[in-house]
Amino acid sequence: MPPANGGYMIAAYVAAAVIYLSYSAWLLWRSRGR
Amino acid sequence: MRSLLAQAWAIAAKDLLLEFRSRTAFLSALVFTALVLAIFNFARDPTAVATIDLAPSILWITFSFAGVLALNRAFSLEKENRAIDGLLLSPASRTALFLGKTAANLVFVGAVEAIALPLFALFFNVPLLGVLGPLVLVIALATIGFVTVGTLMSSMAVNTRFGEMMLLVLVLPFLVTPVSAAASMSAKIFAARPFAEWAPWLKLLTAYDITFFVICTLVFETTVEE
Amino acid sequence: MTAIPAAERALRRSGAWMAVALVLVAGVYVRALVFTPEEATQGLAQKIFYIHAPSAWVAFLACGIVGVCSLLYLFLKDARLDLLAASSAEVGTVFLTTVLVTGPIWGKTIWGAWWTWDARLTLTLFLWFICLGYLVLRGAVDEPGRRARYSAVLGILGALLVPFIHVSVLLFRTLHPKPVVLQTSRPQLPGSMLLTLLLSFTVFTIFFVALLVRRYSWARLRDAQAQSQAES
Repeated sequence: MPPANGGYMIAAYVAAAVIYLSYSAWLLWRSRGR
Repeated sequence: MRSLLAQAWAIAAKDLLLEFRSRTAFLSALVFTALVLAIFNFARDPTAVATIDLAPSILWITFSFAGVLALNRAFSLEKENRAIDGLLLSPASRTALFLGKTAANLVFVGAVEAIALPLFALFFNVPLLGVLGPLVLVIALATIGFVTVGTLMSSMAVNTRFGEMMLLVLVLPFLVTPVSAAASMSAKIFAARPFAEWAPWLKLLTAYDITFFVICTLVFETTVEE
Repeated sequence: MTAIPAAERALRRSGAWMAVALVLVAGVYVRALVFTPEEATQGLAQKIFYIHAPSAWVAFLACGIVGVCSLLYLFLKDARLDLLAASSAEVGTVFLTTVLVTGPIWGKTIWGAWWTWDARLTLTLFLWFICLGYLVLRGAVDEPGRRARYSAVLGILGALLVPFIHVSVLLFRTLHPKPVVLQTSRPQLPGSMLLTLLLSFTVFTIFFVALLVRRYSWARLRDAQAQSQAES
């Protein structure tokens, strides 16, 4: 019976998504050109 | 080669003379060291942990802070006087300039350590005399590693917006090897462990010192190029 | 003068690549979360591995690029190398941050503690500090030539520092074994998990390249614009 740590998995996946999406958005916004 | 060393010596002597005349940096580093040692004393519970177990940590935290303080001071002297501009116009080679500055910083930090060490032994009843040889070797190697990189970073930080904070940010990751090696070796030395147990650290620190001494000397020219 | 239109075209193309890469990353998320089996002893948290390990690989790749470009810049003095190094450092820092966030979360479930001075995570932490220092340094120097030289110096020194930190941490660790709650020796990954992992590595590398190209082409455009302004 594996330990019930799904919450940690969600936390990590969400955190990574937040980091990557925020940076992508910021980069696209800064570099939107003239 | 001879003229290189002579030039470096002249530059080092000038920096040290400047510092000796005002003495404020040296005194403030000493006062700071005494303060840090005193705080450690108030913060510990002598019945809970034996002093000798904490001793390496206390020693190296003290030396690290004092070292950074000393570098900062050398750096602000540099900034105030813009002494480097005069030196760059002189016929002195860039390598001599770097060697001279590093030597001066080494003497300065070394002097602070030379006073801090007996203070440390006194405040915490650490029996140093039996292990003085290996301990001084460790302190010397760590200091060389730290000061070499610190002097190079100083020469860059002086031309940036954030000054002393920039110096600290740049130097911090480079403290990992010298300080972790020195602290680990000191712990083994205080505990009278055989040389074989701390030999790997010694090799690492020596390799670090050689590598960064060579690299910093080579790239210094780039940092003062116009 | 002709540099600007070319740079603008490159920038537009990179936008499309980023969109593709983001879709692929979303695909990896679905694959890892929904279509990959749960690990029997570690539970669902083991799946963090599919994000953590590829991010770490990309982060180290990015830092390697910074090191190589820095060294080449000192010899060739080509501004493009400097811009590529700067771009790689910025994107690399993002991936390093992800490693440092997902690592402790996963570590908490394996080791029972958020931080245990694990050799790899500690090295990542110091690499993060070096990259941050690199970015701060660039922000603190206005003159482009000096900024490039200083960055190159820090890039080279940082790259040289990495093996020393690695050995320091390893030497330290051999005396202080980490707390082990669950043994995580390298098990042979069953087929489905291995496929997810390989997909993730591939997609994250594509994602990194897309971000890098975007960041770099933007830097080149700005550089070209600044140059034409200086000329006029």
